[in-house]
Amino acid sequence: MLSKKSIIDPDDLSLEDINLILTNADSFLEISGRDVKKVPALRGKTIANLFFEPSTRTRSSFEIAAKRLSADIINFSSPSSSIVKGESIIDTLRTILSMKVDLVIIRHGDSGVVKIVDGIVGVPVINAGDGKHQHPTQALLDLYTIKKRFEKFDGLKVAIVGDFINSRVARSDLTLFEKMGMKVSIVSPAMLLPEDFSKMNVKHCIDDVIEESDIIYMLRMQFERQDRKFYPSIMEYNRFLSLNLDRLIRMKPGSIVMHPGPVNRGIEITDEVMEVGGSLRDKVAIEYQVTYGVAIRMAVIYLILS
Amino acid sequence: MDKNKNILIKSGRIINLNKGKDDYSDILIIDGVITEINKEINGAGKNVTEIDAKGCIVSPGFVDMHVHLREPGFEDEETIETGTMAAVKGGVTTVACMANTKPVIDNQSLVKYILEKSRSASCRVLPVAAMTVGLEGKSITEMGLLSEAGAVGFSDDGMCVRDSRIMYEIMRYSNQFDVPLILHEEDYFISGSGLVNEGYYSTMLGLEGISSLSEDLIIERDITLAKKSGAKIHVTHLSTRGAVEMIERAKNEGVRITCDVTPHHLFFNDSYLTSFNTNFKVKPPIRSEEDRLALVEGIKKGVIDAIVSDHAPHLDIEKNTTFRLASFGTIGLETLFSAAFTRLCVEEKLDLHKFISLITTSPSKIIGINASEIKVGEVANITVLDTEKEEEVKKENIVSKSKNSVFIGHKLRGKVICTISRGSLVYRLNNL
Repeated sequence: MLSKKSIIDPDDLSLEDINLILTNADSFLEISGRDVKKVPALRGKTIANLFFEPSTRTRSSFEIAAKRLSADIINFSSPSSSIVKGESIIDTLRTILSMKVDLVIIRHGDSGVVKIVDGIVGVPVINAGDGKHQHPTQALLDLYTIKKRFEKFDGLKVAIVGDFINSRVARSDLTLFEKMGMKVSIVSPAMLLPEDFSKMNVKHCIDDVIEESDIIYMLRMQFERQDRKFYPSIMEYNRFLSLNLDRLIRMKPGSIVMHPGPVNRGIEITDEVMEVGGSLRDKVAIEYQVTYGVAIRMAVIYLILS
Repeated sequence: MDKNKNILIKSGRIINLNKGKDDYSDILIIDGVITEINKEINGAGKNVTEIDAKGCIVSPGFVDMHVHLREPGFEDEETIETGTMAAVKGGVTTVACMANTKPVIDNQSLVKYILEKSRSASCRVLPVAAMTVGLEGKSITEMGLLSEAGAVGFSDDGMCVRDSRIMYEIMRYSNQFDVPLILHEEDYFISGSGLVNEGYYSTMLGLEGISSLSEDLIIERDITLAKKSGAKIHVTHLSTRGAVEMIERAKNEGVRITCDVTPHHLFFNDSYLTSFNTNFKVKPPIRSEEDRLALVEGIKKGVIDAIVSDHAPHLDIEKNTTFRLASFGTIGLETLFSAAFTRLCVEEKLDLHKFISLITTSPSKIIGINASEIKVGEVANITVLDTEKEEEVKKENIVSKSKNSVFIGHKLRGKVICTISRGSLVYRLNNL
């Protein structure tokens, strides 16, 4: 059992919760490797997948997770922009809830929405990403990816690189990484990180962390969340922030590269890194994140509903 | 005999700001006028409404020089009638209402309309007229005619005049009539689509930030313009440390500048945003603890001249939505005294007289009206308060038409027992 029935914010997760989820993920990972990828664990349960923001990857990941647990899942998609003032998200939720669902998974373009609706809806809620705020299951699957590779967290050095200000993944990762005892630094240019954010170990160039880090966590340059052009150019980004082959080679033995996807090839990660072969291939853990994502979401849904 | 105009206030502590020393006396009001202040006035046979003020303070009615009454144009949010009912529940007997109504108060007939409506309202309402036509920041309003019609000040509140040359001309022109300009200081290029104070919390919560530079830059500009023009400017709802520092310096240099702060900026800091409660979405934003403490210090040092509610009613539908879509503003008339009193007098031990002057004599002076006094011969404008009483603010007790109070769920000290405005008992706490 998790300490709270909903997963809204990584701060809600206790250390015990996290370990419980990660341990459960192991058995669910095994199911995804079977020929028949389905267990009857949640037969008869109904889950609503409410996406008020376009998403293919996260929505599919939750959908597959639910289906492998034999739960029924309905998808509801509506862009946030069509939920105008006066047409409240609460009303939309009430409509869905009237159909008697057991769990609601919500993604929304505005920060804080999932926190606002939790408690109103009366059933457990999973935050599948709210605006620039949080994306807790992404952080959990990132932890799981790290655990599978390093078999520990304590003392690992992580650098989160790129557009921090617009990234919900970065916020959730930061919280959970620090909670697990990892040493986090942020590599971000001034305009992608507020000046007052001085609590953190902040660097401005990826070269400052590339050799010492166990994990280089590349963020997506969120052009779709910027109402103006934040950063001068891709060439400038490549010079200071991108992961290219030269930098990949300089990374220390055993270290890995992660990215929440989808990668903007040529911006945060170059083509040659994405297609790299040989022994360096092992450093790029991005596809593992996606595979582990299903296992983590199965674990979370299972722990909430069983 | 109208029992609402014949009142005997028994055994209260009468605040006398001029004398600096309080009397424990009774006050007899006959036909709305204070006729006697004495110990042990006998009310028997006089057919008066008796108010037991034992243990209470009896203060001149409060003046809130920055409220939005939403009339005309937004009567679904608030009206002069409901807004003044909220005012007197908060002990306020004079309000100055801002011009961002629909239509905007930028012509004489609207000034007269407000004054006409004020006559039947629970308390006195004084209109603040727009500085520029339609609050567009382009053409200067008929300041001369408007002030003759009864506007007590000029403000484009809610908006900031971007064009520095126009602002300079407004200042030079206002000087001609010696009227105060009430300034909402915001650099739109800095604030952009920001929702909350820019800082640690905006970053962690993923809410767009508004840097304190937004306020500081324009205050710096307007101080420079005021220095050159000699205009009388009043900076409203300060939120930053920089603002307090700059205004202190400007005052020392002899600039004719005054300023105010709201209870919510004195009460909260941006750590409260973690609740995502949209009532915390206000402009200027509730800033860091460092800024909050600078505002408190600004009051103690006398840099800040007044406390105002910036009462900004909004419908549930405008607040019960996402942080991005929610409207800016909180109501504040009903909690003006108690919220500020809790922070300043209870916690910071600010002198009570000093505090009361911030909501009576000092704002009166800024908008050029006579401050009401508790003395024989005066029409009674009196508030009786129990400063020991602590109570949680509850949504169901709000009398304002809109319920968007940032103080809901918070315990505040000090409760208004009754309010006498323009000689009439207009509010009395139910359970007495």
